[in-house]
Amino acid sequence: MSLHIASRAGVRLSQRILKRNLATTAATVEECDVVIVGGGPAGLALASALASSQNAWRVLKVRLVEAGDLSKIREWNMPPGAYSNRVSSLTNASEDFLNRVGVWRHVAQERTCAMEDMQVWDGISDARIEFSANRLEVGSRSGSGVSYMARMVENLNLQRAALTHLEEHPSIQLLDKAKVETIVNEETNGGWPLVHLSTGQTLRARLLVGADGFNSPVRKFARIQSFGWSYPTQAIVATLRHAPHTIRPHTTAYQRFLPTGPIAFLPLSPTSASLVWSTRPDLAAALTKADPAILAIMINSAFRLPNISMKYLHDRIRGIVASGATLQLDEIRQEIAWREQSHQIESHSPLASALVDPFTSVVGVPPADSELYPPLVHDLQPDTVASFPLRLSHAESYIGEGKGARTVLIGDAAHTVHPLAGQGLNGGLLDAECLVRSIDGALATGSDIGSYTALARYARERYIQNHAMLSAVDKLHKLYSSELGPVVWARSVGVEIINELDVLKAGMMISAGANANVMKGSPGWNLLASSVESVSGGVQIAKALRQGLQSAAAGVLKQASNALAGRS
Amino acid sequence: MSRQLCLSTSLRRPSYSSRHVSRRVRALHEDTTTSTSTVNASEIAHFSRLSGLWWDERGQFSLLHKMNPHRVRFIRDKVVEIGCAEHGETWASARAALALQGLDVLDVGCGGGILSETLARLGGCTLAIDASEKNIAIASLHAAADPSLALPATETRGSLAYRHATAETLVQEPKRFDVVCSMEVIEHVDNPAGFLRSCAELVKPGGHLFLSTIARTPLAFALTILAAEKVLGLVEPGTHTFSKFINPSELVEFFQTDPSGSGRPWITRTHEHGLPTRTEAEVRGIWYEPWGGDWRLMPRGTTPFTAACNYLFWVRKPRE
Repeated sequence: MSLHIASRAGVRLSQRILKRNLATTAATVEECDVVIVGGGPAGLALASALASSQNAWRVLKVRLVEAGDLSKIREWNMPPGAYSNRVSSLTNASEDFLNRVGVWRHVAQERTCAMEDMQVWDGISDARIEFSANRLEVGSRSGSGVSYMARMVENLNLQRAALTHLEEHPSIQLLDKAKVETIVNEETNGGWPLVHLSTGQTLRARLLVGADGFNSPVRKFARIQSFGWSYPTQAIVATLRHAPHTIRPHTTAYQRFLPTGPIAFLPLSPTSASLVWSTRPDLAAALTKADPAILAIMINSAFRLPNISMKYLHDRIRGIVASGATLQLDEIRQEIAWREQSHQIESHSPLASALVDPFTSVVGVPPADSELYPPLVHDLQPDTVASFPLRLSHAESYIGEGKGARTVLIGDAAHTVHPLAGQGLNGGLLDAECLVRSIDGALATGSDIGSYTALARYARERYIQNHAMLSAVDKLHKLYSSELGPVVWARSVGVEIINELDVLKAGMMISAGANANVMKGSPGWNLLASSVESVSGGVQIAKALRQGLQSAAAGVLKQASNALAGRS
Repeated sequence: MSRQLCLSTSLRRPSYSSRHVSRRVRALHEDTTTSTSTVNASEIAHFSRLSGLWWDERGQFSLLHKMNPHRVRFIRDKVVEIGCAEHGETWASARAALALQGLDVLDVGCGGGILSETLARLGGCTLAIDASEKNIAIASLHAAADPSLALPATETRGSLAYRHATAETLVQEPKRFDVVCSMEVIEHVDNPAGFLRSCAELVKPGGHLFLSTIARTPLAFALTILAAEKVLGLVEPGTHTFSKFINPSELVEFFQTDPSGSGRPWITRTHEHGLPTRTEAEVRGIWYEPWGGDWRLMPRGTTPFTAACNYLFWVRKPRE
């Protein structure tokens, strides 16, 4: 009998709770299963993948919140031949994912460019490594049967495609022009996150996804620490217009590692390319403010002149800026011409740029070795020059706990990467892919998709992968920003050796674009990380040696001076 | 309520053959003194103390939280498999997302509701009962925060109700269920045979009974009591009593008799190695792999070895 009474008490309790819930939620709070904060590539990819998933779209109520105006992206349109300056090299794994999700068919294909070959060389020693997707037989095959390791795509082209895809899936609602004002925990009732928007709406989230970038408000709400550092480096981006290629097809990317940072030339079309030039902040400021024609000739030199001359030019620019004068095109051009002369660079050499007319350079028999350098840039597409600081950061965890429970981070909110390998966007897309897989798996077993157990798989899989990628990129950066003799020697030897080892190259290239079906995840980064690690170990030793020698020398000098002082 | 840790393979091969009936069946002893209720008072008190911790997924019950998706998958797959054999492929593929849609489901010994919530999300019209009132309060409180569980059942959604009751009290009522689950419970009750009889009674003809428990082997003692409770402290000491563990062969033999008084045994034939045929019953071992931080459900058809510690058991009530 006592059991019977007790059972009624239990039912009463749950009914009471139920009533209270309905009272507080009915008026203003909208119950959601997934709230994605951020309409960047990662957030839109996640929404698109949820829309195309087997079960998720049917049973989950998904909302995407974006502060900006998404209709501007939806209506984004650029004339053929003009390109946005935010371009990513999409790996084959990412492309494969977008294809499966159904976003890829909305991407304007004629605005993308397959990257079949890659030329990477050392700014000091000129040691060179060549990647060719065809020769190594890795990577995806395009319709014509040609392998490519990655594909250059404008971020806006991708975002627009995702939005077009989402138009076909009205079950996923996009709330744009809606800023996240605050995110708070419910005080009672399970402690789910409540997202208050500037539109007055409040969303109660079973799962809150932070796809809100480097300064992620969601990450702050979840009290997840992020560790990392800024590099004393600024990246200049621009869309380049250049002379047509002579020998190579236009599907080659070029990257030179200068001690000030890498400069990359990423193909967009036979006569356009995207620039990512990481350099010192003061130089970046001077070059982005200057006449674009100056930046254009500096880009040509940065791929060609020996480092000592680049250093000289940098110092010259710093000097002019410090004196308060503006940079003059003719003055810089003459400086470059003079440096070329002093290096005995003939006017027909592929290394010559200052006095060469980019259009006549393609006439006649191209000079020997001209395929080792990108074609000459003649000008920059107007209004495409921009620069942004470089940093590396990694969240301590991808899942919130305790008061931050039911939150998960993807994309830049979880990890920001030095863009020297073009991995930032790919990481975000693969995060989205993995998270949707975890959500689908959780739904199949009736789990609560906001629970720690349901999300743990995502965190475990992606954290390790992203960490390997981040550390490889960071080590590459450190390795290549050194001018120390032994380091240059070590990395050059390393690069030369790697160039001979097709297996290792294939591994590195998989980082740039494995077919997801061939290689699950990216062992390439692990391989790259460990191979770079051994070289950077050498860097540490060389640094230690130098410090040791310096202190030893200082000690000898001190003793000598003491001895002298004692004698006098 | 298992929070046990199983690390290695069996030391002893459990035998399911009928030759060993008399020796093993004593585990399912009848205790006539407590025939009105199989609930053990000190066990209830123990779990009431732990109740507040039920939903801390990283705490005391983390192993149970991690085990849940695997046992749910087992339940889902088995229901769909049998349904597919009976109603055809179209029936089965329609149930891909909501395997328990429209089925009356009972969770006996629901604890904090870890399994019950998932059964409801898979579409089951779920009733979850527990002998501890505090557990029922905790479970109700947790489910109330989830809007999808607070609503009545629809075509795409199951429902969930909690009740402070025991299997024995439910038997007195007329309602019967398509699926009855009692996970990690039988090793805590005083009169396992009586408890099983009640559970069996609650299953509709043609319905399913799912159990999970721990085998009474030296290995299970070493892992679940010695290692998990006494050495590593992963599990609250006193959670398990070795003598209450039950071997798979004992469950098989129990259902070879007629447990629900319907006039026919639930398991009519066994293979040479003592395992039942898969349309009547199934035993699957489940192991915790500390290196992966997750459980692993042993594939069907592996040796009885693999069920030497934690295992899942399914049996089907014959149609009348």
